[in-house]
Amino acid sequence: MIAQIIFQLFIIIALAPLLSGIMKKVKAFFQIRKGPGVLQPYYDILKLLQKDSVVSTNVSWIFHAAPIVSFVAVLAAGLLIPIYITQLSLGFAGDLIAVIYLFALARFFTALASLDAGSSFGGMGGSREMFIASLVEPALMLSIFAVALNVGSTNLGFISQTVSGLGFDAVSPYQILAFVALFIIAIAETGRIPVDNPATHLELTMIHEAMILEYSGKQLAIVELGAMIKQLLIYSLLANIFFPWGIATGGAGALAMVFAILVYVIKIIIIGITMAVVETSTAKWRLFRLPELMSISLMLSFLAIVAFIIVKGG
Amino acid sequence: MVEVVFGSKIMQLLIAFILVSTFMILGSTRLYSCVRAFGIQSFLLACVAGIVAYSTGKYDIYIVALLTLIIKSAVIPYIFIYIIREIKVKKEIELYVNISPSLIIGGTLVVISYYLIRSISIISELSSLALSASMSLVSIGLFIMISRKKALMQMLGILIMENGLFLGAISLTNGMPLLVELGIFFDVLIGVLIMGILIFRINKTFESIDTDLLKNLIG
Repeated sequence: MIAQIIFQLFIIIALAPLLSGIMKKVKAFFQIRKGPGVLQPYYDILKLLQKDSVVSTNVSWIFHAAPIVSFVAVLAAGLLIPIYITQLSLGFAGDLIAVIYLFALARFFTALASLDAGSSFGGMGGSREMFIASLVEPALMLSIFAVALNVGSTNLGFISQTVSGLGFDAVSPYQILAFVALFIIAIAETGRIPVDNPATHLELTMIHEAMILEYSGKQLAIVELGAMIKQLLIYSLLANIFFPWGIATGGAGALAMVFAILVYVIKIIIIGITMAVVETSTAKWRLFRLPELMSISLMLSFLAIVAFIIVKGG
Repeated sequence: MVEVVFGSKIMQLLIAFILVSTFMILGSTRLYSCVRAFGIQSFLLACVAGIVAYSTGKYDIYIVALLTLIIKSAVIPYIFIYIIREIKVKKEIELYVNISPSLIIGGTLVVISYYLIRSISIISELSSLALSASMSLVSIGLFIMISRKKALMQMLGILIMENGLFLGAISLTNGMPLLVELGIFFDVLIGVLIMGILIFRINKTFESIDTDLLKNLIG
């Protein structure tokens, strides 16, 4: 059990920078650039880990605690999401609601830290992040609830196991609607282009970058790694709740595990490439148009639930 | 309704996508994307008709499906785009109700129509889905007609209502007699042409197709 927890953490931490690197490479390909190598995020984080942090003298303990709290919250969420096996060792500890609120905890502390340093950019980033979060959270919950209703459980491991057992019977209107809704949410949650641009430090547009502007050195490494892990976890949600085929169930042998991990990596890479394509083919939206995007997502997940009730007869 | 079970899964998917396309019209502020979404909706409707035709084996429904494909998803969007180009309207839609509230109202309308349909006792789950989808299309079309300022959008609203009626009719009765269907198609086509001409006239008189201005007195 302990071994499984450690192994899952290892996979999450090891894969997250790779996913980022692949997405950067795909984006560079579409912009006809060569782009940095796929392994570049690993080098960046290793380099940052060797450097000292420069910290403003005005900050309180929150500034120092925030990266660690956010990082640990995101990692804990990772233990509640099925990655390669549906039997989660910590599955008893929480379900999808816990995952959503662990993400919210991470976001809350990042936003607090952004206010703590007292720079104007930090405050702006924090307020924008909270603005988007207030729109994203209900839609995220509704879209996963649509699937949970179908399965009859809020435990993510159980959802993924049931859906993979259903085979192609799982393809249904509510499943597809919820998937599209969650895809839009994933764009917003990971700060991708119609919502936020991860590659810019332009003061008018940045959200996440504005919040972590004050961090440097080791703390920055932890913050960046946390953001990458969060991205990986949200794509895992997409992959293992809607397309869980190939995931290992409890009592599977070592060979099945290896196969499940391979399938997982392929699924994540496909989702990452899709996301990068979406990102290059759209323009960044004005901040005040974002509620429209989020209400589309909210409406889609709402429709998914209504369709479920209509078809199954509530 | 015995044979339709064959395509029941696909029908469910198609009907869900028809609802989504309606929300695409409700949620976009650009005329072109509204027209495109309407084209998609009509194409999906033609697919529904095609499945019904295949599972019942009636040839006249094939003709209906083909007519839907040609008239509703090609000719009518083309007429729309022609009108937009000819009178050079501003591409943005003006609204009485903003995008987010209108999406929420649309969702409420879906729920209301579902509860209305539930009071009719229908055994098959597919026909209850199709009927509530058709009812929501009718009510959302009506809502689009009263909440958008452009005459073009009001035209689109009435076409969405018509699509909803068509969906209800074809999925519930396995197709009306061909003569009736032909009459309806002719009606819709002529209706669109007449509305188009009316829009040209409105544009000529008021220099705009904003129906808000129709209330003003002109000497």
